[in-house]
Amino acid sequence: MIGVVLETLLYIIAYPPLWQVLIVGFAGALLVAMVAIWFERKAAARVQRRIGPYWASPRLGGFMTIVADMIRYVTQQVIIPFTVDRLAFIVTPVAVLVITILPLAFVPLSPHEIYWPVASMEYSLLIALALTTLPPLLTVVLGWASSNKFSVIGSLRESYVITAYELVAILALLAPAAATLSFNIAYIVEAQHPIKWFAILNPLAFLAAFLAILMSTSAFPFEIPESEHEVVAGPYTEYSGILYALNMGGGYIRRFIYAMLVALVFLGGWAPYTPGSGPLTGFIVPSLIVLIKACLIVFAMSFLRSVYGRYRLDQALDAAWRLALPLALLGLGWSIVLAYVNLI
Amino acid sequence: MKESPIGTSSGGALEGRRLEGMIVRKVERELYEVFIGPQHPGSGHMRIIVRLDGDVIVEADPDIGYVHRTMEKLSEVREWLKPIPLLERMTIIDACNVTLPYVNALEKLMDKSPPPRASYLRVLLCEINRIASHLYGMGIFGVFLGHSTIYMWAFGDREVFVELAEILTGARLTHTYPIPGGVRRDMPQDFPEMARRAVRYMRRRLEEYRKIFVDNPVIVKRLDGVGVISKSKAAELGIVGPNVRASGIKYDVRLVEPYEVYDELDFEIPVFEEGDSLARTWVRVEEIKQSLNIIEQAVEWLERHKGEHIIPVEDYNKLPKLHKEVYEKTGRVKLLPIHASMKIPPGKALARGEMGRGEIVYYVESDGGTTPYRVRVVTPSARNAMVFKYIIPGHRLMDLPAIYGSIDYFPPESDR
Amino acid sequence: MKPEELAELLKNTLGGLAKEVTLWKGYVEVLVDVDSVAAVASKLKELGFDHVKSVTASDYPKESKIRVTYHVSSYLREDLAKVILGLSVDLPRDNPVMESLTGVWRSSEFQEREVYEFFGVTFRGHPDLRPLLLIPELAEKKVLRKDFIVKEESIYEGVPHRYQ
Repeated sequence: MIGVVLETLLYIIAYPPLWQVLIVGFAGALLVAMVAIWFERKAAARVQRRIGPYWASPRLGGFMTIVADMIRYVTQQVIIPFTVDRLAFIVTPVAVLVITILPLAFVPLSPHEIYWPVASMEYSLLIALALTTLPPLLTVVLGWASSNKFSVIGSLRESYVITAYELVAILALLAPAAATLSFNIAYIVEAQHPIKWFAILNPLAFLAAFLAILMSTSAFPFEIPESEHEVVAGPYTEYSGILYALNMGGGYIRRFIYAMLVALVFLGGWAPYTPGSGPLTGFIVPSLIVLIKACLIVFAMSFLRSVYGRYRLDQALDAAWRLALPLALLGLGWSIVLAYVNLI
Repeated sequence: MKESPIGTSSGGALEGRRLEGMIVRKVERELYEVFIGPQHPGSGHMRIIVRLDGDVIVEADPDIGYVHRTMEKLSEVREWLKPIPLLERMTIIDACNVTLPYVNALEKLMDKSPPPRASYLRVLLCEINRIASHLYGMGIFGVFLGHSTIYMWAFGDREVFVELAEILTGARLTHTYPIPGGVRRDMPQDFPEMARRAVRYMRRRLEEYRKIFVDNPVIVKRLDGVGVISKSKAAELGIVGPNVRASGIKYDVRLVEPYEVYDELDFEIPVFEEGDSLARTWVRVEEIKQSLNIIEQAVEWLERHKGEHIIPVEDYNKLPKLHKEVYEKTGRVKLLPIHASMKIPPGKALARGEMGRGEIVYYVESDGGTTPYRVRVVTPSARNAMVFKYIIPGHRLMDLPAIYGSIDYFPPESDR
Repeated sequence: MKPEELAELLKNTLGGLAKEVTLWKGYVEVLVDVDSVAAVASKLKELGFDHVKSVTASDYPKESKIRVTYHVSSYLREDLAKVILGLSVDLPRDNPVMESLTGVWRSSEFQEREVYEFFGVTFRGHPDLRPLLLIPELAEKKVLRKDFIVKEESIYEGVPHRYQ
């Protein structure tokens, strides 16, 4: 009796679309965003010879500070200035969050077909990549809706940066597809079993992908649209309350989604582990392994904040067109060579 | 609020919704005017009115005066000794350097000169303040470029020197240390050892700063070739301090017209040729090293010459018995009430000194009364304000913090 | 260069234009006429004085004059860098107008604006004469003159205070 109840419960929770979009998607993204913010503040504080978040929960290293911050943002007054374009102002941050999490609905977290969120994973890499290119366009809408000179300058910078890194990100993340001759993420992960990870076989594409993700999510050293010292917060200047939290957290969640994709195609997904059947070993454990790998990438990006300053806009675009793009093309070429040699 | 050339058409935001008292002025169609105003995280206590053509700055107009505290007018109604704590508040982080030229001007008018031990003590405090001021400037500069690590490190290391100053004078920032004729307090017994430890610590830390900030590839790319001030332009605009030494002119008041005991000490003046923001940062780092050398020499001299006077002998003889006892036992000078209403013979005097940010000039005029007739002070930041108007146009908007931070402009000092 | 040598040099170069040369403590002052200020400034610039350290004004209500002093020195010439020269001009108190010296020394631009707002001295030919530090309503009152008395309040009622 108890066994039947437990099994039903497990079946409901591990129902793939529910699990992936709601639990790994919203709840997992929220949790990972909080842990990423905590790690960024704590690591930066330790490098800078101070303590960082501490008083809210000393034994946990101050993690509850972030939870307290989230509660504060949820209950804070949302001030909407008189001169903004109301519909765009209020709807856009929410839309950005929703579109950011959508790629997770098309990504497999297990090799078995019954645990896939949609019926066929044939073009999953392509669909996920296409969906990640949508949120930055909405950032430009944010700046226009705010009706504030600093927001307009920030949005213009964002539009320049989008034009530069989009190409690099797509080319770099498609390099594994060129090597395995398939857009199917499950197939790509299987091809990397057990240690033939793409990051080791094709480091150029991995580096180009890393750079492109740094640029697209405004991480240091490319924190340009929201740089605090010329434009007050870029497109996000006029926001307060829960909308502010959505904007700021949105950056981290986007980083997490990109990191999931990189973890699946470059770092081998669930690679050293061979999933069995049954919901626990076949679905929950592989997804947790992918989650941990994605977290490691997010932490590596967060750590750069304490080391680097901020590039100037035209220097960052220079880096994109003259450094990252040739790197991505070389990575693509090398993948084709790998496919030819039948290494995979 | 000004009418923006882009127009605020979405949702009819400003049409017919002008608020009371709004000043509206037409701007040229092609230029975008941005107010980097006082409530901006990157502007300090001033406003810079910037006109942009795309991303390139065409005109930059400094709008200063937000922290004007009427120091010159106040000095005319206070007795001679009272402007010392008043004028110190102009640049409180550099307190001894700001008040020392004023005291020198008074000494010139009164024909008094301080005993050597007092001079060495003044020089010691001046150099401690100079290091603290340079670290403050470097920290703020790092934050303008987005590099928060150097900000935390510089302010943390500045604590060491602020505590040294506290041990010497009793106050962390508001020292009020020099008085006409000498200084107010003598050095405690264990001070030389602490000073030497601080110097060794700072020398180690400067290596770390070099690795993470001055040689950081992002910072170098951001500062190299930005805000170049050529030698002739620097002389024409009258810029002071490390900015002019980074443009190739070897000018330092301690070298040109040595005051106190600077002609007996052994130190160098670093000069760079390029004149860009990176050269200015290098000059400040090298100056910190030279100040550390001076502190070592001053402390050594003070240890060898113990027990000397810190006020002139004729003033010491006039002190009553109780004041003499306090002076012998604790080394503190208690001023007599006669100092509150002392009169200075009529005349005019000009005295200058070298602060962390540059050269400060005092012009003091006396008509024989108990209050000054005219005190004119020109601070280094007031003279460096010309950089905004003449050097910034032609650069991009993101170069504004790079140039602003590198000239180390301090608005409270500039507005007096 | 010593201050005495500088006084000699000035007397030789300026001749009759210098009405009075005084050695004060810390600088050498030369008094000139209002009409010849620009010519004297150009001559000094040729001598090698290339920047202005301070532009001061002192108000003498009893003699009904305002004295404007330019303290200049040199960056590029080593011998002149050690001395400071004060170029003084006496202006009548009820209508203080003089030539602006920004054409000769650009470094005096911001400080002339200060003298304009604090004392009411108009500089003809200044490229951008408007108040630098004060708000316009206060700049009209010519704050630093001796007849502008700041009303101070005493914490004790009825105690006579020196400043009204």
